[in-house]
Amino acid sequence: MPQLIGLNRRAIAESAAWRQLTVSTRLAWRILVHEKGRTALAFVGVFIAILLVFVELGFFIAVPQGGMWVYDHMRFDLLLASSDYQYQAQPWQFPRARLAQAAAIAGVARVTPIYFAGGSWQDPSGGVLLDVFVIGFDPAGHPFTDDDIERQQQTLAQTDTILVDDQTRPIFGSLTAGRRVDINSRRVTIGGSYHLGTGFLGIGVALMNEANFLRVTHRRDDPVSLGLITLAPGADIAGTEAALREKLPADVQLFTRDALTAYEDSYWTTRTSVGLIFGSGLVVAVIVGLMVLYQALATQIARHLPEFATLKAIGYGDASLAAVVGIESAIIVFAAFVPAALAALLVYALIRSETLLPVALSGSSIAGVLAATLIMAAGSAFLSLSTLRRADPAEIF
Amino acid sequence: MTALVLFRPARRRVPLAWRNLLADRWRLARASAGIAFAVLLMLVQLGFERAFFDASLAVVRGLDGDLFVMNGSKYRFGTRNPLPVRDFETIRKLAGIETVNPLYADWMDFFWRSPIDDKPHLVRVFAVDPDAPPMFQLPEIASQQARLKGDATLLIDRKSRRFLGMDSGITEAKLDGEPMRVVGTFVLGPDFMSDGAVVMSSATFAKFFRVTSPVMPVEAAVIRLQRGDDVLQAKQRLAAALPSSLRVFTKSELIQFESDFQEKLSSAAPIFWLGTLVGFVVGTLISYQIIYTELSDRLPQYATLKGIGYENAYLVCSVLQQAALTGIAGYLPAWLLCLAVYRAVGDIALLPLHMTLQLTLISLILTLGMCLLAGAIAIRRVIAADPAEIF
Repeated sequence: MPQLIGLNRRAIAESAAWRQLTVSTRLAWRILVHEKGRTALAFVGVFIAILLVFVELGFFIAVPQGGMWVYDHMRFDLLLASSDYQYQAQPWQFPRARLAQAAAIAGVARVTPIYFAGGSWQDPSGGVLLDVFVIGFDPAGHPFTDDDIERQQQTLAQTDTILVDDQTRPIFGSLTAGRRVDINSRRVTIGGSYHLGTGFLGIGVALMNEANFLRVTHRRDDPVSLGLITLAPGADIAGTEAALREKLPADVQLFTRDALTAYEDSYWTTRTSVGLIFGSGLVVAVIVGLMVLYQALATQIARHLPEFATLKAIGYGDASLAAVVGIESAIIVFAAFVPAALAALLVYALIRSETLLPVALSGSSIAGVLAATLIMAAGSAFLSLSTLRRADPAEIF
Repeated sequence: MTALVLFRPARRRVPLAWRNLLADRWRLARASAGIAFAVLLMLVQLGFERAFFDASLAVVRGLDGDLFVMNGSKYRFGTRNPLPVRDFETIRKLAGIETVNPLYADWMDFFWRSPIDDKPHLVRVFAVDPDAPPMFQLPEIASQQARLKGDATLLIDRKSRRFLGMDSGITEAKLDGEPMRVVGTFVLGPDFMSDGAVVMSSATFAKFFRVTSPVMPVEAAVIRLQRGDDVLQAKQRLAAALPSSLRVFTKSELIQFESDFQEKLSSAAPIFWLGTLVGFVVGTLISYQIIYTELSDRLPQYATLKGIGYENAYLVCSVLQQAALTGIAGYLPAWLLCLAVYRAVGDIALLPLHMTLQLTLISLILTLGMCLLAGAIAIRRVIAADPAEIF
């Protein structure tokens, strides 16, 4: 019997807490609806703050993404790179022999080289000499998953014919097929275009087959910039990776896709000022949202101070009044979050066209902003409690 | 009679906006804190934008010359595209030019082996003739360039990114695999393209390219005119005498040339403008909220003033004044706080973040703009206030 009484007591306590929460929610809703203009104002303020968080986070992610975009459209299970590898646009080089060494290991199906180089682009009639990023590859290895590149295999096979990234800046002139340009003083023909982006610092990219690349850059096929390793179907990834690490000399390193993403992100966020600039923007955005919401809540509480004091006098506890404030802030924040996420889609599209950075709304960034939003809601509710504490039934009347 | 007129009450008008502002200190503190955040947001974004440009312009600003001749096909300063040797000789021979200094530079070929991670990192290299008059206004380069006469010697930028290890007081270094001696340091700072910089003598530079100094292609001819020479006239004279494939710049034209590149081609500029715009919108909202609350609370008072005969225009004026004063109350602490933020962030991110008169004025105008805009929107409440209805 004592056990049953215990259960009952808990059930009663639970239902009381539930009832209290329902009352608090209803009260919070009433307050919000009572002064629609004021609530709308708080809503708009929080909406803008959340949008700001989205925008800063978008930049924060987009800058490393500028380089990752290329890797995301390459076919590989493991990436072989120089031990001096810096980031996508500065991968350095390693001896071509490492490719054959890697290919000899059980579980490895294919290893394809990729070449990167800087070049100078000029119109045959003269004009400015522009820096262009040149990528060379063997089309037979099908290293790119991009449909446009796959479709233009025959074009790529032609001598002195290149593809250009359609994000190449307008200063390079027309990118239409058939135009002839000089890269490193060698006359080449634009065969078509594709869309992988130029990265945060690049202004133009040209893609060509291995033979054309070596002619244009005056290089030999050794060393290479990257090796794309594809594993045989059913091969054990971890085991093959371990074998590769053991067999290959220290002048190269291996990246899985996850490791590569983490490496590129940390390069931009720790080695350049990009992380700090957008990181601080992110923090400021959260603080602005917090302040806006706090101001709205505190004003509302201050205006309803007599009502809150009355509730206290008739027996409502501090906790249920605090719950009213918490629920109010949660309602505003969640109501603002959804339209802010939708508006972020528009702003991202605008940024994509203005800065050519691949800003996109991903599941993880939505989750991140939601977390920041919850911090805003909790922080502002917590700060406004000090105003609520001023509700003293004895003093107010 | 005139004395009497002078002492009429109208001369001692109640500073209504000021009194309202100071009536509730706690509320003022809250209002100015809200506005201060918006101002800080704008100042930080504007500062970043400025710092981004200043960092990329640091080298061209640091060059000490009246006129600069570069290859006409250069699209920006920071890319290798040297002058033909013959053309540099032509420039040298032209009359009326006091000194012509060759500046050698390279952005893509020199790798500094960092003592920190033992990896090669791309650095900018500038090479000067140690016997010629200093070409850089940076005092530490000017005063130490004589030390570069020694073989394989370098001055390094101690404000380079830290992973290059140039701030660690090293004396031995490796550049492109060649052992070098570090004979001094200077302060330039990284830009978005490059992590660090070194300065060497033209003779050392030539050895890297396996050429002898007199016939080495020059990146830019840095010309200093005789005292009293007219710069624009000299520019015209020079441009007329040189082949059209070369381009002559005054110093301000050179700075403009480089900043045009950053503005038109790089992805960074619109990012910061967007940030500033967002700061302005947030600030307008915050100030609207503050002013709206303020007006709602004092609506009976405003109605009373109207009831006793004050014109709408007077009340509007007073509300706008108060809005502007609240804006300034938020602006001042934000400006002061921003000095600390600039200093801290500038040190950590190695960015040239400095408060300038221009930044101060732009942000002040934006602040007053957002407060007055908010005041103008909120003011309808006062205009609509009906003395008969309020009581």
